[in-house]
This record gives sequence, C-alpha cells and structure tokens, in this order.
Amino acid sequence: MTQNPEPCIGIDLGTTNSAVAAVVDGAPRVIPNRQGQLLTPSVVAVARNGKQLVGHVAKRQAITNPEATVYAAKRLIGRRWGSREVEDARQALPYPLVPGPDGHDVRVNLGGRAWPVPEISALVLAELKADAEAYFQRPVSKAVVTVPAWFNDGQRQATRDAGRIAGLDVLRIINEPTSAALAYGFGRSVNAKVVVFDLGGGTFDVSVLDIRDGVFDVVAVGGDTYLGGEDLDRRVMDWLVFDFARAHEGIDLRKDKMALQRLKEAAERAKCELSSAPSAHVHLPFLAAGANPGAALHLDAQLGRERLEELTRDLVERCVQVAERTLRDAGVRAQDVGEVLLVGGQTRMPRVQRAVRELFGREPSRSVHPEEVVALGAAIQAQMLVHPEASAAETLLLDVTPQDLGIVVAGGWFQTIIPRNTTIPTSERHLFTTSQDQQTSVRISVLQGEHERAAQNALLGEFVLTGIRAAPRGAVEIEVTFEISADGIVGVSARDPQTGQRQSITVTATSGLSQGELERILEEHRDEALSRRQAQGLLSSRRGAIEEAIAEIERLAPAAEAALQRSPFGDDAVRKARAVVARARAALAADDPAAALVEEPQIDRTVQLFRSLVAGGGA
Amino acid sequence: MAVERDSPFAEPVDLPVDLQREILDLDARLDRLTHYEALGLRRGDGADAARAAYLERVKRFHPDRYGGKRLGSFRARLDRIVRRLTVARDVLADDGRRRAYEEETAPPDDVVRRQVGAIEEELRAAERKARLARTNPLVVRAARVNDLVCRGKEALAAGKLVQAAADLATAAALDPRHPEATALASEARRRAGAARAHELYEEGLRSEAAGRDDLALERFAAAVELVAGDARAAAAASRAALRLGRAGDARTHAEAATRAGPAYAPAFLALGAALAALGDRAAARQALERALELDPKLADAKALLRKQRWSLFR
Repeated sequence: MTQNPEPCIGIDLGTTNSAVAAVVDGAPRVIPNRQGQLLTPSVVAVARNGKQLVGHVAKRQAITNPEATVYAAKRLIGRRWGSREVEDARQALPYPLVPGPDGHDVRVNLGGRAWPVPEISALVLAELKADAEAYFQRPVSKAVVTVPAWFNDGQRQATRDAGRIAGLDVLRIINEPTSAALAYGFGRSVNAKVVVFDLGGGTFDVSVLDIRDGVFDVVAVGGDTYLGGEDLDRRVMDWLVFDFARAHEGIDLRKDKMALQRLKEAAERAKCELSSAPSAHVHLPFLAAGANPGAALHLDAQLGRERLEELTRDLVERCVQVAERTLRDAGVRAQDVGEVLLVGGQTRMPRVQRAVRELFGREPSRSVHPEEVVALGAAIQAQMLVHPEASAAETLLLDVTPQDLGIVVAGGWFQTIIPRNTTIPTSERHLFTTSQDQQTSVRISVLQGEHERAAQNALLGEFVLTGIRAAPRGAVEIEVTFEISADGIVGVSARDPQTGQRQSITVTATSGLSQGELERILEEHRDEALSRRQAQGLLSSRRGAIEEAIAEIERLAPAAEAALQRSPFGDDAVRKARAVVARARAALAADDPAAALVEEPQIDRTVQLFRSLVAGGGA
Repeated sequence: MAVERDSPFAEPVDLPVDLQREILDLDARLDRLTHYEALGLRRGDGADAARAAYLERVKRFHPDRYGGKRLGSFRARLDRIVRRLTVARDVLADDGRRRAYEEETAPPDDVVRRQVGAIEEELRAAERKARLARTNPLVVRAARVNDLVCRGKEALAAGKLVQAAADLATAAALDPRHPEATALASEARRRAGAARAHELYEEGLRSEAAGRDDLALERFAAAVELVAGDARAAAAASRAALRLGRAGDARTHAEAATRAGPAYAPAFLALGAALAALGDRAAARQALERALELDPKLADAKALLRKQRWSLFR
C-alpha cells in the first residue's frame, strides 16, 4: 500500500451521497466503503431496536422507518431555526425538526433525543473514517472536508464541528468546486480559465478559476445553498401526488409518511432514468388505502423527459442566472473560458447540460467523474498540506470568500468590510464612530450576505465592546478588524485605539453548538468510539470463523434437508437455519460487531446439528 | 553560522536559512512598500505583469507550501506577506484601480504635467464646441430650442403665461424629444387657460350684475370650455340660462357642474332650479335636498325646496 508515514484523507460530505479519497502511490483514488461501493449515502437512522445505522443500511430501511431516517442533513447544517430554508425543510422532510435550547439552532428528533445537526453529519464522517481505516489497516485522522463554495461561516463552522465529533483532525475546509478543479488539474498542465458548474443533491455552486503554473486562483464564486437534485425530486413528487389526488378523489399522499418515503425514492429513480431514457415508468403498488375497506390503491404513472423539464424549468433557469452573475463578477466573458467542468450528480440531466452548452457555447469537459471528483481534489489538498514534498506538482490553492462580510451600523444598515470574492486568507481594518452621546459600549453584530438591510443577512455572531470613553457622539473611534482564515472561517476583533480596550470573537455562538455542548458530545463519542473499536477488533478476529461456518451450513443444507425428511425433527429446523444465516450475513455486511457476535453461537449450533444429521443420514 | 540569541534565527524552524532571511527582511519592510515594490515590479508595468509576479511570489511565500513543517513565528510572517501581495495584485491587476493608484502616488512633476494637460484639453474641447455651434444646422436648432425653453421658463415665472405658452409650444414643435419643452409647454398652456377662464368668469359676473344674462351665459360657457370641470362657471352658466328661459340648457350646464363639483352646493341648487322649471319635482327635490346637505345655509335652496313641498301637498 502506501509508504506515507500517515495516511490523510479527503472527504466530500454531500447532501445525498458522500465519498472519501486519499492519495495512494502518488495518485488520488476514491476509497471503497466496506460494502465495496465508492459512494456512501449520507443517510443516518435509528432502527426500532435503538441501533444507529449509517449509509446504505440506513437508506435501505428508510421506507419502513421514515420518521427516524435522516437524509439531506447538509441542507440544515449551520442554519438558524425560523429561516426560510428550515421552514421549507420542515414541510418537506418526514423526520421531525425542533429548535435547540437557545431557540436559534435546529435539532432533529431521532430515537427519543434531539440531535444537533453536526452530530448527525458526524456519524456519516465517522463511517467514512472507518472505511478509510479498514482500507489502510491503520488509524486515520487527518482530513480535508469539502463544503459548497456558497456556504457561509456558520455552515463551515458547523461542518468543522461535525469533523471534530467524528474524531477527525480537520486540516482545512475547502470549497467543492475548487476541489473539483484541483482534481481536474492534477497531473495535467492547465493554463486556462476554468468554470466549475456544480449542481449536487442540495446545493448549487459556480466557480471561476484562473489556473496557471500550478496555482489554482479562484476569481469568483456564486451559488445557492438551497438548490439541487432534491428540489427536482420534490417537483416530481408533487406532480405524482397531485396526479394521484386527481385520480382518487383527493387522497393526499403527503399525509402518509411511509407513502411519502416511497414516493421520494420513486421520484429520484424516475428522474435518474430520464437522464438516459425518454420516459420513465413509476409504479408503486398498494400505496394507499382506498375508500372501500380493503381496497388498496396503486400509483401508476408515466413521466416523460419533456414533462420533467417543464416541471423543473425555473430551477435550471436559476442555475443559469447564478452562473451569468458569477461570470460578470469574475470579469470573464463566456467565450474566454477554456474549460467547463460538470460536477454533482444532477449535471447528468440532459437539460442541465444543454443549458451549460448554450451559456458557454462549448461542450463541457467529460474528463471528470461528477460524483467522485470532489473527494479526489480534497485528497490532493490533504496530501499537499501534510506532505508537500511528496506531492508531484507544485500546487497551490488560492480561494475566495463567497459573500460580503460586514457589520450592522446605525439605522439597521449593512456595512461591508470584506467584499465577496476577496482572496483568502485576508484581513481588513475599519474605523467606526459612536452614534450616541456618552455612549460607553458598542455592540458589534457580524453578518454575511448580499442585502443592504442588515436583517436580511445571516447573523454570524455578536459581541459587545465595553469601557469606551464617554464623549459626544462621533468623537470616539473604534477600530474593527476582520480576518478570514484559509478555511473561510471568520474572526473579528474591535479595539478602542485611544484606550487600547480590545474584544474579539471567533464567530461560533449563533450557529450550531456551544463550546460546552461540543465538549460534552466529544466526550461521549470518545467512550463510544472506544467500545466500538474493541467490538470491531473482536469481530475481525471472529469474522473468518463465522464465514467458514456459514459456508459449511450452506454446503450441508441439501443433505441435511434430505436427512430431515426421514427424521422426527420436521423441516422447520432448516427454515430456522436459513434465518440465522441471513441475519449473520447482514451483520457481517454492515460490519456490525454486536449483531454478528450475537448470531455466532446459533451458527455454531446449526453447524453441529447439520453435521450430525448428514453423518447419521449417510450411515 | 553564528546566530544571536534573541534573533528569530534561534527558533527551530524547518526553512532554509536564506529563505528565513528573505522573509524577515520582506516582513519588516511590508508597510513601506508600494504595490509595485511588493510584487517586484516597475511603475507602469501592466495587469499581466502583476498577475505573473503575484503567482511567482505567492508560490514562494504561501504558508501552505510549507505544510507539515515547523514554521513557528514564520507562519504569521508568511501570512502577512501573502496578504500584502494579494492586496498589491488586486489593485495592479485591475486596470481601473491601477490607474487610480498611479494617479494617487504619482511623483509631483508628473502631477503638474497631467494637470496642465487636462486644462489644455478642456480649452480645446470648449473651442471645438463653439465651432460646431456656428456651422452645424442641428446644433443651431438645438441652441434655438434651448433659448426658447429658457425664455419660456422666465415668462412662466413672471406670470406672462400666454407668451410662455407660445415660446414653449414652438420649442416643443422644433424638438419633440426635448426633455423639458413638451411638459413645460402643456403646463404653460394649462395655466394660461386657467387664467383666461378666471377672467371670463369675472366678466360673466359683471354682465350678470348689469342684467345682460345673454352675455353672461356666453362668457360662463366659454370659461367651462377652457377649463373642463370648472363647477363654479358651469353653475353660473346654468343660472344665466334659466333666467333666459332656456331650462334645457340650464339643466345640461347644471349636470356638468355637479359632475365637476360633487361637493359644490350651488351646482345642486342650479340643478334643482332647472329641474323644477322643467316640471320634474321629485328629482328637483332630491337635488335641492342634496344642496342643503352640502350647505345648510343656502337660503335660495331652502325657499325653492319649500315651494316644491308646497306644490306636492297641494
């Protein structure tokens, strides 16, 4: 495997799917999960027996357990209770959301507990970390995690917290489109302006980069953190629901959580099929109870590609508008663009590809895999940060801050301090004055956003600078310094230059977890991780034996069955044996030590029974 | 090499010594450097040169290039240097901002030369304009329109409304797209009309007083014509017509008066009188009651209404 002293990984934490990658033998590659797939669904569930499930196992049981299966948590991370996006999510999601203890934070009610969103995302990250550890056969902690370029500071902080909870040392948070460009430029000599058009499950990003001599200089970014494949799925779902209601006297399927989950999956499947076929058939038998008792209703619909495009036209149009604005911000004309990269599963849709072709007047690049490229780029960046001498090319990432950063000034106006598309890391100093006579303290409210009215922007945090000299208004100056780190994370300090009085914050307080809460969660997870590791170790030592026993049971089954026909036991022993084997298999596939070890004695007993039966029958 | 104890060289840092020295030197001078000096450029170098120099320097000084190494206090120094380089690049790679920066920081004799140049340029521009005005018919006409508009505005301010209306109408006809002429012309016309209507109304009142109801009617009607919706003139016209025995005309004028002034009591009084003369007592009574509702002290209306009631009871 690798000669590196310590493997480091790149994680694409997606809305729908996530992936983990690493640089192995000088080339980035996606690490398959323990079920052998490259993508892991970003789904977390608590099963009826209280067990936490992550990834494919969680996704598979979603239909039967909709209220305790969390998907698309990325749409909620770092958002405030009461925001438009959270209100929208409460309408659309089958699992219940509640406000956090401070009333600003969003929590998910799951298995009888209110989970902070970063803790949910942490389960996905921990799963990927464990996959990487299984692959490298050693502990892995250093990671670069990607976020949409348009994420604000609160969303970045919350993602960083999720990494910490998962036991990762997050080297850096980088932007998904930048990461994609990095993977695209790896091992190629690129000297061009490159546009990344990233339409994922829940977020949309556009970045314009100037790549020259190994320096990836981001010129401008634009996006919408609430626009993606999930929105297209919802349009299809709404159409199905409406059609069904029309055909069946106004039965509203949205009231039935289980039907909703089936509809969601069918809508997603139909949408994906339409990327390659002109029409898709949606068939959901026994979806609802009919008016007469016992008469079940089925949903049967034919969805054409044209209808899908009509249902989602405005969403694609929004993407085009964002892309146009970003080009304007970058001062780049469409014809100057040397390459367009399509990233994110939703860019498989032919209508999206056509929109890109029309906008840029060129074919988008086919040389990157839309769902793997982001993780690959993150792995390259991780490698560069940990082992720069081992990186093949002299590569350097220069990213920008996506949204204007500033503070509230008198009258409720937003004063920009660091404008969007400023290369980070950066810092900026500004002088402000008091607005009232004899004012001895000022409140500094830090905001990020696009609107000139302060209230319309995202509040990142607030602090109060006290001990200002009493003087007529305007006579005292206050110096405010803003810093944005290479992660895009914001720090602010304020100072009275005359008295030297100073206050500062790293803006965390209003988005997600408080420091105390974070520490408590970290503590819990340390204990949990320890016991899980012990169980995992035990399982890996027993796995071979269990698998051998299963193989033997299967080999003996036909003979045992024949022997049983002639014996007084009856054939329900075979049926029981099959059930035991199925449970043990599932537990091994999910790498679930607790469940697998429970089945082991049963497996042993079955092997003994079969052996004696076959031996007795053959004699 | 020999290193002083308190020098940053004493730090255990994984950077080549010559690079350490370069970083220390650059960091110490950071605040005094011009944007050009920060990027190692000469004044007047363009945007492309700035971008290229930035790439080269940022590769050397960006802390990410030294990941996994001990940087100590050099991390903060490298950070400051990169920020300084980025600011310089942002200014010099943008044509507009570079020009502004060059002007701001130009040497004194440069500034003088540029100012003299600007004054000469201004003089030449004024001359060109004057020459154009003498020769080009379009420019001549534009000048005439401007003159007319100016004169029209003055007349308007002085209350010479008829003259203002004439001048501005001419200007608007010469240049229908002139931003002010059309609007001013219609304003002047409106005010001139209103003034004439007021005169006609006063004349009408004098004729009425002199017992010349025929002349009065003519004048009131002309005033109504000039200012559509002059309830006062219309009501007066109705009164005059009624006295001349033309009850039908009286009703038409009165109706126009009530339409124009739905809260003007004399209009309803006139309508009531006209309707009464035409024999429509029920309608007359309603009109008069409305007149009294609007103005309870209207004695004529009270008297007339009493007469209507009286007739009814009989």
